Amino acid sequence: MSNQALVDADWALAHLDDAKVVFVEVDEDTEAYAGNHIKNAIALNWKTDLQDPVRRDFVNKEQFEALLSAKGIANDDTVVLYGGNNNWFAAYAYWYFKLYGHGDVRLLDGGRKKWELDGRELVSEVPSRAATKYVAKEQDRSIRAFRDDVLKAIGTQNLVDVRSPDEYAGRLLAPAHLPQEAARIGGHIPTAANIPWSKAANEDGSFKSIDELKALYESAGVDLKKDTIAYCRIGERSAHSWFVLHELLGVKNVSNYDGSWTEYGSLVGVPVAVGDEPGDA
Amino acid sequence: MSGCGAVVGGVSLDNVDISNQAVIQGVISSGNVPASVGYARLLDRNDEFVAEVPISKQGEFRFFTVAGDWTVVALVPGANSRTQVQATIGKVLDVDISLTE
Repeated sequence: MSNQALVDADWALAHLDDAKVVFVEVDEDTEAYAGNHIKNAIALNWKTDLQDPVRRDFVNKEQFEALLSAKGIANDDTVVLYGGNNNWFAAYAYWYFKLYGHGDVRLLDGGRKKWELDGRELVSEVPSRAATKYVAKEQDRSIRAFRDDVLKAIGTQNLVDVRSPDEYAGRLLAPAHLPQEAARIGGHIPTAANIPWSKAANEDGSFKSIDELKALYESAGVDLKKDTIAYCRIGERSAHSWFVLHELLGVKNVSNYDGSWTEYGSLVGVPVAVGDEPGDA
Repeated sequence: MSGCGAVVGGVSLDNVDISNQAVIQGVISSGNVPASVGYARLLDRNDEFVAEVPISKQGEFRFFTVAGDWTVVALVPGANSRTQVQATIGKVLDVDISLTE
């Protein structure tokens, strides 16, 4: 697959020692990076580095600048993100870097899983990078949706629920590698189409071909001329689908609802659909 | 609220109330020893992806789900397999998978 936003292992291997290319592993489970990682890669933690420590929100512009400065990432560096969970959190971080306007950010196709399954080298040495003075842009709200945007979109714009069919229908409340939670109701936002993120990926975590990705959305009947909001449970799987739509297929009017089902499914007084059908507005 | 990250080997059963969920767990072996690198993937009755965890150094995995028919896919470098299982609420189902590389 040829796309500026996506790099493969050969490209990565040719740039592992390039000082202006920063490989960044992004996981929720910090044990993964601590155990081993791609040579010269640094780590970002999805939660402790990228989420506000008090409110449910992202770190602000100044906090993001301080984070990247401390990590040794400069504005003109090429940032290559990869991670576990089929690149869910790496895709989330990619979207996050775009949100704050980083110039050159890319995703390693297949992430950590493909790298491991292909038997490529992982190391334990942690590199040191000199601190920088990173300057972020204001958040690009065109790629981030909030709950009011979602409520307005019901029945008028595309809503794409990228969770598994059982989560969409309300039979499961979380991905099955997590204990099933009971604090929220199950179901989906009315009129949302269910196009699981996993349909865009091969078994090794790499993305399917452009033709297959186009066919995926066309066969689901999603009119991509309309604005599209993708969501999942907390916004990381939908960042993966946002990457497919916005970066690989070049659909510009796509945003990611990071509040996702953990927010929507807890709201009082909003419409909810259960079962396998999208439901009515 | 927890994130969606998959813990290596699966989330511990400690402090988890399993009375309202079905647990599928096991060990993936390769060449008669536990596989140390690989993934366990859970598919639903229609072969749709539901979840995936990196296995532990001892080849362990664990899923939390509801009653029904599921498929566990074992992925290790150079080999994979599919195992169909039936899960029951309130029960821990042990599934040991042996692969030949």
